[in-house]
Amino acid sequence: MNKKQIAITLGVMCFLLTIAICVQLRTMSSASSTVSQTLSDNGLRDEVLRMKEKYDNTYSELENAQKELEKIRQEATQNDSTAEAKEQEIRENNILLGNTDVTGDGVEVVLADATVTNSLNPSYQIIHFGDIQDVVNELKNAGAEAIEINGQRLVNTSAITCEGNIIKINGERVGSPFYIRAIGSQSLLYGALTRAGSYLDIIREYGNTAEVTKVDDITISKYAGSITYEYMKEDK
Amino acid sequence: MIFIAIVLGCIVGALIGVNMPMISYTYSGYLAIAIIAALDSVFGGIASTLKKNFDLKIFVSGFFGNAILSILLTYLGQKLNVDIYLAAIVVFVGRMFNNLAIIRRYYIDKWTEKRQKSKKVEVKETTKK
Repeated sequence: MNKKQIAITLGVMCFLLTIAICVQLRTMSSASSTVSQTLSDNGLRDEVLRMKEKYDNTYSELENAQKELEKIRQEATQNDSTAEAKEQEIRENNILLGNTDVTGDGVEVVLADATVTNSLNPSYQIIHFGDIQDVVNELKNAGAEAIEINGQRLVNTSAITCEGNIIKINGERVGSPFYIRAIGSQSLLYGALTRAGSYLDIIREYGNTAEVTKVDDITISKYAGSITYEYMKEDK
Repeated sequence: MIFIAIVLGCIVGALIGVNMPMISYTYSGYLAIAIIAALDSVFGGIASTLKKNFDLKIFVSGFFGNAILSILLTYLGQKLNVDIYLAAIVVFVGRMFNNLAIIRRYYIDKWTEKRQKSKKVEVKETTKK
């Protein structure tokens, strides 16, 4: 065995080793920088990261599948006028259901917890799920066509719920400040929220932030989940 | 010669590794144990070159075999709910210390020999004068 051969093999091995170490370092630094002291905490963190990764993977798969479906649908309807009409109908229904990203003029409402405590009851100084519900109702009443709260699109199955000390929308947790964005007639939406005695006034009374602004060209993202049904049937 | 190759390999590896795509978090535990196994093999390789009983076949098979075996054992441990990777780490790190001790002793011996030789030369020169 000559020395040159040994040197080359050792070099190649070190090369592979450093690549692996670099990849590992980058993965770990991107995952999370905090390492907890206790084993059970670390295990839980591991579990959360794995679940998140699994979710991300599945979600990207779903998106790919949807794109594929769209493509196939387009190909199938290329030379068929009745199918084209159906395609148009599907597209419109998707817009109504909240399955597509939509843009349009509208308003943005910002609700945030009070920063200064000046009330005896601190419960008044935070935004509750009921406050959000009331604002959403107000917006819907004024004819909002698409509503999104902190990136969560409101669709017909959406729920705004209070789960202890957090608020969940579509089953995903959201926190203050809440950015409620709605597409619809700007003057109607703005008027409904700024009229005297409107719900925002009540929120503001306790020191919480509640602001409305007219915004042009809002983009509201599509609903991330899927709308399915199991029990209902068409009544003939 | 050998150390130049090692340093060169490390530098090129680091440069490429920085630009490599990240692996998913699920598999990073396996990669970590493979790194430890490979590190052990490299130190073993260096130690055996110094001892002049380096065998390429043993080295290469140890490098890949240990890495793959430790990954498989870690996987098995996860399925059985036993932290087998802890045993693997103990073994590999223990051997790493052994090999590092061999390398250290080799260089300390070399160094002391050199010093003694130079002292002898000095003594000879002074006696000549």
